[in-house]
Amino acid sequence: MKASSAPSLRLFICSMLLAACLLPAFSPAAYGQEPIAITTLPGLQFDKVQVAVKPGARITLTFTNQDDMSHNLVITKPGKRTAVVEAAMALAEKGPEMQYIPRSDDVLWHVPVTSPGEKKSITFNAPTLTGAYPFVCTYPGHGFVMYGVIHVSADLSMPPAAKDPDVPESRKSSEQAHTHHQQAPQHPFEQTPPFLYRAFMEESGLASIAVRLPGELAFCWDAEACKLRYAWSGEFLDMKDFWHGHKNAYAKVLGTIFYRDKATHPLRLGNREVEPTVKFKGYRLVRQYPEFHYQVNGTDVYELIREKPDGSGLERSIRIPDGIEPVWFISGENDGVNYKFSAGTKEPDGSLKLSPTQAKEFTITMTR
Amino acid sequence: MKSAFLSGLFLLFGGWSAAQETAQTSYRVENIEMPAGLDAETGGMAFFPNGRLAACFTRGEVMVYDFPSKQWSVFASGLHEPLGLLVESPSQIVVLQRPELTRISDTDGDGKADHYETITDDFGLSGNYHEFNYGPVRDKAGNLYIALNTASSGAGYRKNPRGPVNLAGRDSTTGRKQMYSIVPYRGWVLQVKPNGKTVPFASGFRSPNGIGFDTKGNLFVADNQSDWVETSKLFHVEKGKFYGHPASLIWGDDWDGRNPFRMPVKELNKMRTEAAVFFPHGIMANSPSEPVGIPAGTQFPQFEGQLLVGEMNHDRIMRVMLEKVDGIFQGACVPFLDGNGLRMGNNRMVFAPDGSLLTGQITHGWAGSKGIQRISAGEKPALDIQNMQVINGGFRLTFTQTLDKKAATELSGYHIRHYAYQYQKKPISEPIDQSNQSDIRDVKPARVTLSADKKSVTVLLPELKKGYVYEFKLENIKSESGTPLVNRLICYSLNRLPVKKN
Repeated sequence: MKASSAPSLRLFICSMLLAACLLPAFSPAAYGQEPIAITTLPGLQFDKVQVAVKPGARITLTFTNQDDMSHNLVITKPGKRTAVVEAAMALAEKGPEMQYIPRSDDVLWHVPVTSPGEKKSITFNAPTLTGAYPFVCTYPGHGFVMYGVIHVSADLSMPPAAKDPDVPESRKSSEQAHTHHQQAPQHPFEQTPPFLYRAFMEESGLASIAVRLPGELAFCWDAEACKLRYAWSGEFLDMKDFWHGHKNAYAKVLGTIFYRDKATHPLRLGNREVEPTVKFKGYRLVRQYPEFHYQVNGTDVYELIREKPDGSGLERSIRIPDGIEPVWFISGENDGVNYKFSAGTKEPDGSLKLSPTQAKEFTITMTR
Repeated sequence: MKSAFLSGLFLLFGGWSAAQETAQTSYRVENIEMPAGLDAETGGMAFFPNGRLAACFTRGEVMVYDFPSKQWSVFASGLHEPLGLLVESPSQIVVLQRPELTRISDTDGDGKADHYETITDDFGLSGNYHEFNYGPVRDKAGNLYIALNTASSGAGYRKNPRGPVNLAGRDSTTGRKQMYSIVPYRGWVLQVKPNGKTVPFASGFRSPNGIGFDTKGNLFVADNQSDWVETSKLFHVEKGKFYGHPASLIWGDDWDGRNPFRMPVKELNKMRTEAAVFFPHGIMANSPSEPVGIPAGTQFPQFEGQLLVGEMNHDRIMRVMLEKVDGIFQGACVPFLDGNGLRMGNNRMVFAPDGSLLTGQITHGWAGSKGIQRISAGEKPALDIQNMQVINGGFRLTFTQTLDKKAATELSGYHIRHYAYQYQKKPISEPIDQSNQSDIRDVKPARVTLSADKKSVTVLLPELKKGYVYEFKLENIKSESGTPLVNRLICYSLNRLPVKKN
């Protein structure tokens, strides 16, 4: 009979002898435990991928699952990670009842399947033989990417992550990735402004469109409220967290916001006081600039926002081709820009009033 | 006990490697080369009438692939997490994004989209990361169908949800590990009429990553296992029905306002419609994806009319065969293809004009992979299970080739188990994806007979239990020419017993 517990038992006895003979009484290594705390990162990763312990050290390994799916943690003999993962996959219909842990001499210790939010600990004596002991989640599909390694070495030495075969590819170059991630291509094409992303944007509706303009300018259009929310200058967006998912992330504005909409809705058709009903209908790309199409009180409105040629602000070209009522444009106070209008008359309260004819096509220039 | 287990394992591996060799000559798996710089997380695929493939990816690109030149070009970009698309015309596609269903057109004929028209945004968003949207698929009348994921209990909602908020769709403020629906129609399948009008169609879904029609126009959804969904399932979706996850109930027209998580499970159980097929968790699938009907004219004619369903956590695509028993769909699932170079993360599938199958892969932070692969029929067809049907007192398994009689009729070659899955509220202490098989038992076949044409076996069992999965592992079966059976594990969901003929 082959019992999978035999090697660990042997190791346990060895290390007890070792502890009794060589280590001073009350040493933490003899009586206490070397704590190793491992948790998860989003996207099938352990937070730690390299750990060093001394031969025979008494280890308490605590696995905290902060992910949104279940994981186990299986420590294997050196060089046996892939074999154990494959044996776990081959459990097929036996997998669930065995916690996806194959009965194999290659498995030294394991933390059983741990649910999101759960924490489980195991205590064991590190092998007395130095070497690289991989740990891996053998949950179906996880084992090929979710792993790390315990290095057993007298001086706690470890190879550099980039050269460690038991470190996942995604973690080998993490430092490089941090330094160069701006340069890494994000798409299979060059992005030349103007271009856009639909994304979750802070301080805007959940249906939002971020537009990159030439001249280091950008703006956020709220496709739920059907209005310009804010504009900024400088770098465009950091999409990393948003694309990564698994938490309620946003595409992050990298530049300096110079304009924020302070009005309820800037356009009023027929009645200046009543907040309009709006509906987003889409957009057309005009020389790559999106011309938004929305309805205000059921009347079609088209709005195209581009950079001012000198880069000092935005030009909003608005068309209401089929309007039959007067139109007001209302801006909030202290919103960061000065306004110029191509048509219409200023009302005493600072709003702009246009006749239906004037509103067929007009331009609002916003200068910071 | 242990040594028996180990020898069993050995047999398993021995059997598998032989079967895998057969599969290699029966199916060819090739990688489609993806363009540099693309994060190839595949959200959707469809073919233009000219034979070019349109595929969308989670960073918002819609790319077009020309097979003869192996060149990719950009059709559209900047979309918000597109997870499905369909082609309407040579210049027009419909894509489902996080906030809306959008018609995207190339109106000036330069090969790039220039018009993005909102078809519908008439559903809620809480901002929870897990509120993925799936589809669209189209019925013969031109209606579109989309499926909306519930929100993850692992995260909250944002401060500015879209749509009316009703916290009765959540199991208290912590969520208590139950997926939730606090804005309209999360957990629903919606029908979008040709004029854009959006109609709530069916409720009770948890994580319905996969909506599709069979070749006869029946609508199916594959839902993912966890709270209330004891194992992943394939539902036959019909208007007005409720499929089991309670969160979505609050958005029903005549809902009485209760928090459905507070309702007795018995009451919910009475309201729900059971799945057509269970995918035993951790055995057949952990996370199934889009069901795709196998039409006439593919490279896999032996399975015409059946469904393929992708699987995220294994290097597997499943095949589903259905029959109507007592007027209701039920049937079996079996691997269509395991391994042979197939990657994990099989999220979307589409048949190419030449009848080969394309599979688009995704991880999206879970188990999976990236890219697109093409599966073609090899020169030597495999011995496979063509169909499995329930009969009085047992099952009939039909094969794609004539069988070796001795191997087919040996009772010891039939490893059969049955087990059930209980509809229940997931206890808060229970692991999120724990398999909840109950009453697992080995079933010894009473009698096995081979048909006169040697293509089907009748397996009679001591009794048939309604509501159980019958898991068959066929160890010995081989063809008359000695080819081993390529896919040996098949699971039949016996929701109803056949009506006895007198």
